Amino acid sequence: MERGYWIRSKPVYSTLIWQAYATAHLILVEGAAGAMAALKLFQQMQPEQQVSVFYLKDTNADNRLGETLNKVAPDDFFVHDSSETLLIGLDHYLSKAKMGLHIYVAGAEKFMWSIADVASRYGVVDGDIHKELTGTLARSVYCVHCKTITHEAHTNIKQCDGCGRMLFVRDHFSRRFGAYMGLMVDAEAPGEIPDIEEIYP
Amino acid sequence: MSLLRVRVADVQQITPLIKQFTLVAADGTELPSFSGGSHIVVAMNVEGRIHRNPYSLMSAPEDRHAYKIAVRLQEKSRGGSVHMHTAVNVGAVLDITYPVNLFALDRRARKHILIAGGVGITPFMSQIADLQRMAANYELHYAYRAHKHGAFTEFIKSTSADQAHFYVENEGGVLDIRALLAKQPLGTHVYVCGPNSMVVSVLATARDLGWPDRHIHSEQFAAPPAGEPFRLKLAKSNIELVVPAELSMLEAIEAAGVDAPYLCRGGACGRCELDVISNDGVIMHHDHYLSDAEKAAGKKIMPCVSRARCDLLELNI
Repeated sequence: MERGYWIRSKPVYSTLIWQAYATAHLILVEGAAGAMAALKLFQQMQPEQQVSVFYLKDTNADNRLGETLNKVAPDDFFVHDSSETLLIGLDHYLSKAKMGLHIYVAGAEKFMWSIADVASRYGVVDGDIHKELTGTLARSVYCVHCKTITHEAHTNIKQCDGCGRMLFVRDHFSRRFGAYMGLMVDAEAPGEIPDIEEIYP
Repeated sequence: MSLLRVRVADVQQITPLIKQFTLVAADGTELPSFSGGSHIVVAMNVEGRIHRNPYSLMSAPEDRHAYKIAVRLQEKSRGGSVHMHTAVNVGAVLDITYPVNLFALDRRARKHILIAGGVGITPFMSQIADLQRMAANYELHYAYRAHKHGAFTEFIKSTSADQAHFYVENEGGVLDIRALLAKQPLGTHVYVCGPNSMVVSVLATARDLGWPDRHIHSEQFAAPPAGEPFRLKLAKSNIELVVPAELSMLEAIEAAGVDAPYLCRGGACGRCELDVISNDGVIMHHDHYLSDAEKAAGKKIMPCVSRARCDLLELNI
């Protein structure tokens, strides 16, 4: 990739740090890698305020770090087997939440942006959510031709689940869709597909 | 900067200190539309000197026939509010800027809390019109010193009976900012306009309760304070002048014939920012725009409200 290439819409994630000014904290983590990010948070300190944790079980069934996190987390600890039930639980939780709650998310992009989508219904904007990218770099890809979103893109080029076109995965990111823009890679020279490489492991 | 020429169609004494002016386009056409929270800058000729003061638009944003502004007579007026109160009558012609909004509603909010102190009610008048049109969830908390100083209370009661709360200071009314902000649902935005002590208190309390900055909105138009005279060198224009005690730096630069940028003239928007080339004294920052770090660095200045206590200040204009 070209040096210095940078797309403004591409999200930049950071390391989770407790917000000193808060009335409550909500942590949502995905699997073992997300649990590790939350454990690092608790290494910083145990906050004075109420801390609630939503834990989505690890896809590889490695829940040892999740169990450790449960021991460290002082208050509510909600375990979910699927992101669907976690998002329903989150919706219910946010409906009762007050200003002053800070939300921390650690997981892959698909997890983080599905949470941002639920939170947006409660007036929480993207910049209000503290995010740490853990686990996979896999991208969700929005097909500009048929509008289908294809998940788990690990490669520079990904076939669209909707229309079957081979899409070049760009860095342009939509916070509303939680997905990167995908464009037909062989539109000008049909059938000429460049080498497909795994660049989002 | 392009201006709108307007004629004063009506003047009302609203409270002992506040007059409301209704402005229509001098050529009888429609005025530009605006969004709730917008303000204009009114230019007025006071004894041969041009004063330019910002005032919030109070009329409903969809009303293109007239703008309404409220002018509070300031105790330490530099001439502008006294001029508006004593010399501007029905039929007077004024030049105003196009509306600018530095105090816009965030439409993503789940709930809006509007906090007004005294004449700080003015920007909320047009915001309330927007909020009602949007059928948004909002509350207005309006504090003033005494019953007779409560401007537009009847109008507010007629439009926002369920949303408005009044706090009359000399009747024991106290707005508990902490209690108010502590119980707000996630996704709320707070907007405050009023005396400096109220604005500072709301900002500090909201931050202390963990409200993100992007959920906190304030508007304060500072009047440029008087100070000591100092010499001003304009490097690009190659002009040296003296800023007198009672004129702002921006006014002095304009009086010297230099076309300096500006929008709000109240230290809020940042449009007039100039680079400081050299300074042999102290800059007196009075704006709400520069960060504390930028103020300390002394490399930038807002000439609309700030000045210097020095012999010579050199600016890059």
